[in-house]
Amino acid sequence: MRKQLQEHIARLRAAGAHYVDARWYPVEETNDLLMWNGNLKEASAARESGVGVRVLYKGAWGFSAASDTSNLTALFDKALDNARIAAERVTFPIRLAEKDAIQATFASPNEINPFTVPLAEKVAFMQAMDAKLNQPGVFQRVCALTFMRKQIVFLDSEGSEIEKIITEVFPTIEVTGLDAQGEMHSRKFNPARMGGTRGWETLDMEVFNANAERIVREMNEVLVADPCPKDVRSVILLPGIMFLQTHETIGHALELDRILGYELAYAGGSFVRLSDFGTLRYGSEKLTARADATIPNSPGSFGYDDDGIPAQNNLLIDKGLLVGAITGRQMVEEANARAGKRIFDGSGGANRATAFYRVPIERMTNINIDPGDDGTLDDIVRNTERGIILDGDKSWSIGSNREQFHFATDIGWLVEDGQVKHVVKNATYQGETVPFYNSLSAVGDESTWEVQYTPNCGKGQPNQIMQLGHGVPVCRFDNVKIGE
Amino acid sequence: MKDQILHTLRELRAYALAKGVEATFLYHEEDSYLMRFANSAISLNTNEHLIRLEITAYKGRQRASYSLITALDKLEEMQQGVDIAAEMVEHAQPLNYQPTVPTYTESFSDESAYDPALATLSNEERLVFFNRAVAGLETDAQQLSGIFSCGENVIAQINTRSEHTQYFKTSDAQITIVLSHTALKWEVIAEQSAQQVGDLNPDALQRELAFLVEHYQHDTPQQLPLGTYDIVFGPAAIAELLGMMGYIGYNGGLMKRGYSFLTEEQVGQRVFSPKVTLTDDPTRRETFPFQRDMMGMVREPFSIVAEGIFKGFVWWQDEADEFEAQPTGHTVPHKSVVMQGGDMAASTLEALVAQPRENDVLYIPYLHYMNIVNPSKGLITASSRFGALLLKKDGSVVVPYNVRLTQSLLEFFGDKVAWLSQAQVAANTSMSYGARNPQAIIVPALMQVNGLEISHSNSAY
Repeated sequence: MRKQLQEHIARLRAAGAHYVDARWYPVEETNDLLMWNGNLKEASAARESGVGVRVLYKGAWGFSAASDTSNLTALFDKALDNARIAAERVTFPIRLAEKDAIQATFASPNEINPFTVPLAEKVAFMQAMDAKLNQPGVFQRVCALTFMRKQIVFLDSEGSEIEKIITEVFPTIEVTGLDAQGEMHSRKFNPARMGGTRGWETLDMEVFNANAERIVREMNEVLVADPCPKDVRSVILLPGIMFLQTHETIGHALELDRILGYELAYAGGSFVRLSDFGTLRYGSEKLTARADATIPNSPGSFGYDDDGIPAQNNLLIDKGLLVGAITGRQMVEEANARAGKRIFDGSGGANRATAFYRVPIERMTNINIDPGDDGTLDDIVRNTERGIILDGDKSWSIGSNREQFHFATDIGWLVEDGQVKHVVKNATYQGETVPFYNSLSAVGDESTWEVQYTPNCGKGQPNQIMQLGHGVPVCRFDNVKIGE
Repeated sequence: MKDQILHTLRELRAYALAKGVEATFLYHEEDSYLMRFANSAISLNTNEHLIRLEITAYKGRQRASYSLITALDKLEEMQQGVDIAAEMVEHAQPLNYQPTVPTYTESFSDESAYDPALATLSNEERLVFFNRAVAGLETDAQQLSGIFSCGENVIAQINTRSEHTQYFKTSDAQITIVLSHTALKWEVIAEQSAQQVGDLNPDALQRELAFLVEHYQHDTPQQLPLGTYDIVFGPAAIAELLGMMGYIGYNGGLMKRGYSFLTEEQVGQRVFSPKVTLTDDPTRRETFPFQRDMMGMVREPFSIVAEGIFKGFVWWQDEADEFEAQPTGHTVPHKSVVMQGGDMAASTLEALVAQPRENDVLYIPYLHYMNIVNPSKGLITASSRFGALLLKKDGSVVVPYNVRLTQSLLEFFGDKVAWLSQAQVAANTSMSYGARNPQAIIVPALMQVNGLEISHSNSAY
């Protein structure tokens, strides 16, 4: 197969294509299990394979994909035809940043391939979790396990040949109860990635047991709690909501294709302009953010992106100053040309596709916030006069340029004079991105830092779902509107 | 091709029966084309031809499914899929209810929503359409974005309970055109949904865009003060709100799980404005309808809300099995939701702007990133996007920056509804995650709701 793909790549180059690549998925497997109130509502597995071909011709992209690989000639020709018509409407001829030709392999670290674990064992894990969640006050209990394994072979006309095997495990447990007014309230647990691997072994029954007890207890506290007051306070975001704040208002805002207008008709743009790099005070000096695709245990680490660029650890925001973006080969060239100066020094290695039948686009890797020097969660609370601790991603809605946001959380704890007072329900907060990050007044130390994952980040047309991560500490922001 | 698909399904059925496996088979084939525009160029031109097969095996109360992307001539690979599903179901935990296995009493085929002329549009035709829709509107500063997505979709089914088959074939197109200003960052949108080639009308899109651009070019944007506004929603915004109501409102299974703002006690009660009538109507071809559901149940117009009275929940078969409810024919990839029009003659933005008014009116065509703040109260939040306008009572028009609404669906569709357009529009709500599933909601062209509160107001784009 590889030889055939290389021959077709060479054939299209000879036919006038400037660049050609092919992503062959010999196999992609998924396994989804969902247990709801003790019922195994979903026990499904899926397998797919196919080839996607991307062709750059006269400054325009064409792409074609098929699961039936019996006629590769037609597949490659269709991709070239698609590029030819696209070349009739070019405003900025696409150029790709330089890269080295790479022959390499990558396998995400795992000790136990989840696809070797019998279904009965997976179901037994869920039954144990379900039993643990089946407590007074719990109206609905959900346990879900998703497993993925992708084998991807990447070949391009510049001489690269890379094979990747990506394995992922995404578990979650959640409980829901009804309060005296009949309103539902939920609490969930998505385990942080504590170890160095991402296989079946990451499902630690002891950790799940402890957290099952915790979420049931906290949900029951929410059921009898007062509503979150309408107020302006300091908000202390635990990793269970800080990861999403980071995702939505740093990650998406700094995708270079959004900044350049390539998502304007769908996902949206960004308030960030090219002139902001090196000048915009994105946050307070306590804010340092990076796109780090090198940490071992996160779905945001994949070895090489779908341009064939090795994983990198790049600064995005350095002590509050905007310095970088989430980039691939095409966008950095266009951004530098449009800006009339060299903002980006080559691709950041963040161009990924969700499947063989989708084209790679800029996706987050692990968009992390560096730990700070404001101590533990207890230390931060002790130094907060009027605040609220928030956790759990209940709802999120962000302006189309990522300029403003509204979040609801599963739980809130009011803080008065350095003391945690009591739980509140229906907690929400909202703000504008840049003023919000400039109000960052405390960043927790390593003890508060966790790698959380996002298994379902949506973007692009045709739509794509991507898996990625966020290593974040506890953070405190001041003067934030809550309870609306 | 249809004969080959059904023949393959019959072969799979025979294989499963020979192996003693109770199974259902869902075949999905798509031929999808998407031309994407950004910065006035074609940023991507793509197509995919994919065949998916989902095999669900049953053993008493146990159920498991296996899916594969395959090719029609790979019968052996599909048969291996049957074996895998059969192996999985052995280890699946029994449900505490009996899942219904579909039994088709007759074969059914529906290609009435398929137009080959639309399904086989060429690259060149798509580009010509787009060029015409933005004729005279692009400048160095005003740039084109959008998509022309089209294709054909086939769903075919069989199961081991009977030899009968179901076959559905549709064609669809979804066009979104955005014009945006590179420096000022405003954006305006026009959209179109097509089930047949005659639905395509680039000139209508051009007129709509030209009207919006005229205002956005010449008016200085303003930050709106917080407070309550009388708001006129466009078709995309109305469809987005109705889509959310289908999720946390009249969905029977979610209601039973506590995720609905509607209750069983409210069935037969007036919950919404008397101006609101909502039907699931599979006779409307613009919705890419299913006239049978996946269980073989005949689908007929189903009343959800009649003049404000909540008529009942819709039930997916599996949820009906679990909660001992009667299925309502809603085991479908998508419903065919139709909101009845009202008595207002104005059905375009141009007509709305021209008509006299006693109060200022905020026009919002599109709601961005809607999410649920509190499902029990129907509380949602979203921001305006793409060409909002404040129509002042003195006849002048102001371009506002985007605003956020955090309100209950009971407010959007309750007694604050002032009027609905007579004319209806098909708002295309298709997403392209996973398998192609074209869908549209038919809505009044415009809906005015008075006294809605703005919870945040942008000071810039």
